[in-house]
This record gives sequence, structure tokens and C-alpha cells, in this order.
Amino acid sequence: MLRSSAVGWWWRPFTEVAEAAVFLIDLAPDAAHEARALEWLSVTERARSRRFVHAGPRRRFTLCRGALRAILCHRLGCDSQRLTFGTSSHGKPFARVDDMPEPISFNVSHGRSHGLIAVAPRGRLGVDIEERRAREDLEDLADAVLGPNEKREFGLLRGDARTQFFFRMWTLKEALMKALGLGFSLDPAEFEVPIAVRRGATTGTFRFPDRPRVLWRVDDLGTEDFAAALALEPIPDRCGSSDG
Amino acid sequence: MATTAERVRQLVADNLEVDGQPVAVPADLSVSLTDVGVPSMDFVAFAKVLVREFDVPLTPDDCAGFSSLKDLAAYIDAQAA
Ligand SMILES: CC(C)(COP(=O)(O)OP(=O)(O)OC[C@H]1O[C@@H](n2cnc3c(N)ncnc32)[C@H](O)[C@@H]1OP(=O)(O)O)[C@@H](O)C(=O)NCCC(=O)NCCS
Repeated sequence: MLRSSAVGWWWRPFTEVAEAAVFLIDLAPDAAHEARALEWLSVTERARSRRFVHAGPRRRFTLCRGALRAILCHRLGCDSQRLTFGTSSHGKPFARVDDMPEPISFNVSHGRSHGLIAVAPRGRLGVDIEERRAREDLEDLADAVLGPNEKREFGLLRGDARTQFFFRMWTLKEALMKALGLGFSLDPAEFEVPIAVRRGATTGTFRFPDRPRVLWRVDDLGTEDFAAALALEPIPDRCGSSDG
Repeated sequence: MATTAERVRQLVADNLEVDGQPVAVPADLSVSLTDVGVPSMDFVAFAKVLVREFDVPLTPDDCAGFSSLKDLAAYIDAQAA
């Protein structure tokens, strides 16, 4: 297990949603945190960290992966050396202990200054975080990722409300795409955030139009500092399926 | 006349930045934008830039299928052929 030290942790519990715990990761530059995180990484992860040309992405990956290892090791009761990661065909990581896949479910997202890690004992989940900012290319982005009703609603908004709406929709959609494990292999314009959530509800349920068997839970986790969302597959009962 | 690969590389340099610094990719385009640390939002916006520049269909889910910018340039060439 990873022991506490004078360096301190750079993550803290942020919220809980059903069985999922969500942690907020501080991604501010901090040489001691980065050095500590690097110690926990595997040889492959360290090599990946070194390959980043820019310092920012390197730091964000290292701090998030270090925090992820600490959180998972604590829950699984194992040393960091025993924990490895496999990836699904579209790149979603899953945990292995002593080379055996673990059912524990988790997902990671890095923004510029903050990251989020969501973890649950079972059930697929996805998380996304984005720091909001006015962008000149907001129209282009909305055109690429919003569905027809979302585009119409976006078109009625102006200024800050428009930016807020876009970032909310983006994080909710990306959390769903990441929960499914497909990332952008799924066209985000082909599904829409539930209408109640579009209108401001912070939680709702959702079915992918072409995968209607699973009723997902979506939560807006946004704060003043960032837009964020979590998508969660309710724990299937014994007869439940998870083919959605 | 610049090749598609050269134009893609130039478009990356002109349109993308990471933490305020221009993104440089190797001449053989052997990396993906995700590898370089470009977040998905910038990557989706960049797909729109490519659509305008090359006049080819290109959605974010098309881009997700490419493991490197080299594959992306090859796709653009194949569409234009
Ligand atoms: C995976 C993807 C959704 C991430 O989007 P993003 O907003 O840039 O990144 P986030 O910070 O929110 O998430 C990154 C984390 O998601 C996880 N992840 C990776 N692939 C995933 C997938 N298919 N499903 C769910 N989670 C995934 C990883 O843990 C990753 O962090 P890590 O690499 O540090 O472990 C998106 O980049 C994607 O679909 N990429 C594939 C396409 C691609 O890379 N194309 C390049 C062509 S040049």
C-alpha cells in the first residue's frame, strides 16, 4: 500500500454518486507531487510520461496516473507493483492485479488545472472535466457535437450562457461516451442529453438510441471552476444485462 | 506543391497549441494528437479546420479511428483521389 508522507496528497474526495466515489485531482505544477507520482508509475507508464513533448500534458498524465494508482491500491488492498492496466479495444483502461482483471470500475479525465477520477465497485462509468473558456470556434464545436434539439437551444443563447450550455453538453456527452468505452468512436451528434438535464436538472437518466437496453444515470458535477459530468451504469441485478 | 502530410503538419502548427505553446509534430506524422497532449475538444475543432482546408468529409468519430496523424493524412489523400 502507498504510505502517506510529508509530500501530502494531491487528490481529495469530491463527491459520491450512488456507488461511485469521485476524486478531484490538483494538477497545478508541484515538483514534489510529480516526483512522488512518478515513483509509483510502472516502467511503461514512466516511458509514456517521458514521451510527452510538453511539460503540461506530462504533468497531468503523471499526477492523474499516480493518484489513480493510489486510489485503486487502497480499494483493492494491493501494492502498486501488483497493479497493472489493460486497455479495451478503444483504449479504455481497466485494472489487473497479479495479471488478473479486477471488476472495479474507474475512469479518469484531465482538464488544465484539475482532474477527476471516478471509481465504483462495479458497473461501467465515465467522467469528464473541462475548464470553461470563451472560444472563437464554439460554433464549429457545437456543429460537430450537438444533436438537432441541442443545436437549436444553443442557437437561442448568447454570451456566457452559450459557453456554459456548450461546456455542460460537452462534458455530459463525453462522460457517456467514455462510460461506454468508445470515446469519440461514437458520434456525439447522434445522441442528445436528456431534455430535463439540458434545461438545468443536475441528474437524469439516459438511453443511447441504438443501445436502448441500459438506462444510464448522468450527473452534472460542474462547479464555478469547471464543467464536469459523470455517467454511470446502474449495478445490474442478477438477471440484468450490460450489453448496451 | 506541398504534400498532404506537409499541409497537415503546417495546419497543426498554425491551429493547435498546448498550454499556449505551438504544437510541433515529427515530419513523418508518426504521433497522434492525443499522444502530443492535445485535448479532445481541440482535436474536434481541428477536424473542422481539416474539412475546410481539404474539402473532405471528416467527423470526430472518423478521426478517432486513426492511430496517428500519418493515417489521417492517408485518409485525406484517399478521399481526394
Ligand atoms: C479517449 C478520449 C475520449 C479522451 O478525451 P480527452 O477529453 O482528451 O481526455 P480526458 O482527459 O477526458 O480522458 C483521458 C483519459 O480517458 C481514459 N480513456 C482513454 N480511452 C478511453 C475510452 N475509449 N473510453 C473511456 N476512457 C478512456 C484514459 O484513462 C485517459 O487518461 P490516461 O491516458 O491518462 O489514462 C478521446 O481522446 C478519444 O476518443 N480519443 C481517441 C481518438 C484519438 O486519439 N485519435 C487521434 C487521431 S490523430
